Amino acid sequence: MRVAWSYSSGLRIFGLKKMEILLQLVFSGIALGMIYAVIAFGYQLTFATSGTLNFGQGEALMLGALVGLSLVGNVHGGPYMSYWLMIPLVIVFGALQGMVVEWIGVRPAIKIKSEFGWIMSTIALAIIFKNVAENIWGKDDLTFPTPLTAAPFQVFGANVQPMQVVVVLGALAMMLAVEMFNRKSIYGKAVVATSNDRDAAGLMGINTSMVITFSYALSSATAAFAGVLVAPLTLTGATMGSALGLKAFAVAIIGGLTSGVGAIVGGLILGIAETLTGFYISTGYKEVPGLVLLLLVLAIKPAGLFGKTAIKKV
Amino acid sequence: MSYKMKTLIASALITWSVAGIAAEPIKIGVAGPFTGGSAPMGVSMRDGVKLAVTEINAKGGVLGRQLQVVERDDEAKNERGVQVAQELINKEKVTATVGYINTGVALASQRFYQEAKIPVLNNVATGSVVTKQFVAPEYKDNYIFRNAANDGIQSAMIVEEAVGKRKYTKVAILADSTNYGQLGREDLEKALNAKGIKPVAVEKFNIKDVDMTAQLLKAKQGGAQAILTYGIGPELAQIANGMEKLNWKVPMIGSWTLSMGNFLDNAGKNGDGATMPQTFIQDGNTPKRKAFIEAYQKTYKVDRIPSPVSAAQGYDSIYLLAAAIKQAGTTDGPKVREALENLNEKVEGVVTTYNKPFTHDDHEAIKPGVPVMGMAKGGHIVLSK
Repeated sequence: MRVAWSYSSGLRIFGLKKMEILLQLVFSGIALGMIYAVIAFGYQLTFATSGTLNFGQGEALMLGALVGLSLVGNVHGGPYMSYWLMIPLVIVFGALQGMVVEWIGVRPAIKIKSEFGWIMSTIALAIIFKNVAENIWGKDDLTFPTPLTAAPFQVFGANVQPMQVVVVLGALAMMLAVEMFNRKSIYGKAVVATSNDRDAAGLMGINTSMVITFSYALSSATAAFAGVLVAPLTLTGATMGSALGLKAFAVAIIGGLTSGVGAIVGGLILGIAETLTGFYISTGYKEVPGLVLLLLVLAIKPAGLFGKTAIKKV
Repeated sequence: MSYKMKTLIASALITWSVAGIAAEPIKIGVAGPFTGGSAPMGVSMRDGVKLAVTEINAKGGVLGRQLQVVERDDEAKNERGVQVAQELINKEKVTATVGYINTGVALASQRFYQEAKIPVLNNVATGSVVTKQFVAPEYKDNYIFRNAANDGIQSAMIVEEAVGKRKYTKVAILADSTNYGQLGREDLEKALNAKGIKPVAVEKFNIKDVDMTAQLLKAKQGGAQAILTYGIGPELAQIANGMEKLNWKVPMIGSWTLSMGNFLDNAGKNGDGATMPQTFIQDGNTPKRKAFIEAYQKTYKVDRIPSPVSAAQGYDSIYLLAAAIKQAGTTDGPKVREALENLNEKVEGVVTTYNKPFTHDDHEAIKPGVPVMGMAKGGHIVLSK
């Protein structure tokens, strides 16, 4: 088939065409990878402060997307506002949702110093959120109105949709904002201090339990934001979160649970690996390289590519 | 109208003749996915079934007994389907079961009915092997029937549309990784092979995949003039939308699932022009069909039936079953099977009129020539010209 193609089109163009395809795959991989990266970033935020993870991160994304849909779509009598106006509201909703998760699911476990209680409770909350969403928004996938034209433009011969660019920029901007907040503001410093040593920070007069609540709020807010970013590109529905949440968890492990850069690099690796494998090897195996990488990382550098090796005192 | 009057009088006579016997209802199992990506098909099928049951009961039921629907959600999961089958057989003691949307679930569950000698009437699942699980010589009698267009018929129609009618020579196949998609892909490849054509790309995707770039680029690189699909609504919509992302558009021709509401809604204008075999189109072109569509819309308060094909086949499956129970004069499984295989009465359904639909060795009620090609247009399915 390839041979037949090159006969008809000439070798020079064939070479050019090959570059275009590679570029197209890389672009799609980047857009996909940034989605993973944002969710993975959410995992890191709570892990840094409390050593716990919200396994309902994917569901936080799903709830954000669906709340956003109710505001800008016509599912609940809307549209009530424009896409851009809706974003701050969804972020606030996400923050509140994160606080609920921390308050019900995580705080009791931290209080009794349970090593594993929060795992079950965040998973349980995730299932509850999914069921609630199914009852409010139904079980079917819904279409999210796209704020920008869906027609792609050309970059070096590859097609890119405006919304894909928004996803990448939005995700980067959000991570940058959180990093800036942590480094520059006094509240951020409290967060960093708590991540470094929770007990010492507590002795210094930092209200560590508030910092942990705050980190959960921030983590779910980023997930909700990611939800409304990706919803116009994917389909929106109660089940959209589970698969994304799981892949993002792999990304967080690959990149390292303590590194923001790790989340981005891990996300890009997984996203690009998926599209490239899908094209050059087989779409039946497209998830394999990412997972093989996950296994390799766990075997060789368990803290992740960019993670700091934690020394656990026994 | 005259048909209605006749059935009315006939059923009135039957009711009258057996009146006075306070009989137990005849239980009919309905198994299908009422949640998840296949739900539009499952729900439409169930609602079609209930519509037929209500009509039959209003006319006095069958053998003087009312029909009672026992519905169970199999969630399109094989293991759940097995549980449902055991529950319907052992606990509910159903006379027969209608349903199955997903080929995989049907294949996993039917064994229990075969062993219990209880007929199953598949009204939506299309995998070619669905009715061939328990055939002679290994099995003396087969309890699995179907009144849906099987993949053999559908894939031949898809290929005929692409290669015969539109004269395409380069086509790509995109199929999902479920039993449904992969068995359908095999049928498509066989049908293409019969025309001497090898697909330029054969690609797979998973349920819930959000990115189809790799698959579509392969098709594009191969110079595909059309994409032949075997999948379900949400992912088919991702294919249609993925083509827009790549700024590359070729026609989609695929199995009947291209008519699902969740494909039409999520693909929007990108879905226009998608072509698929249909046993039933929501277009009241006969009085019987018109009455059915209106009754469905009125009872379930919808304008567009989520999956008209499933609703119509669900509705017809009950009339076929009722005719067989009536002819058998009993709810005994083997007798009902025999009656299905030798139906004397012509059953007028909304899909077609069934004249001896089954024999002992042919359990497919829908023969080639019954389905037509439908085309997506502005969120609805119209007859393709």
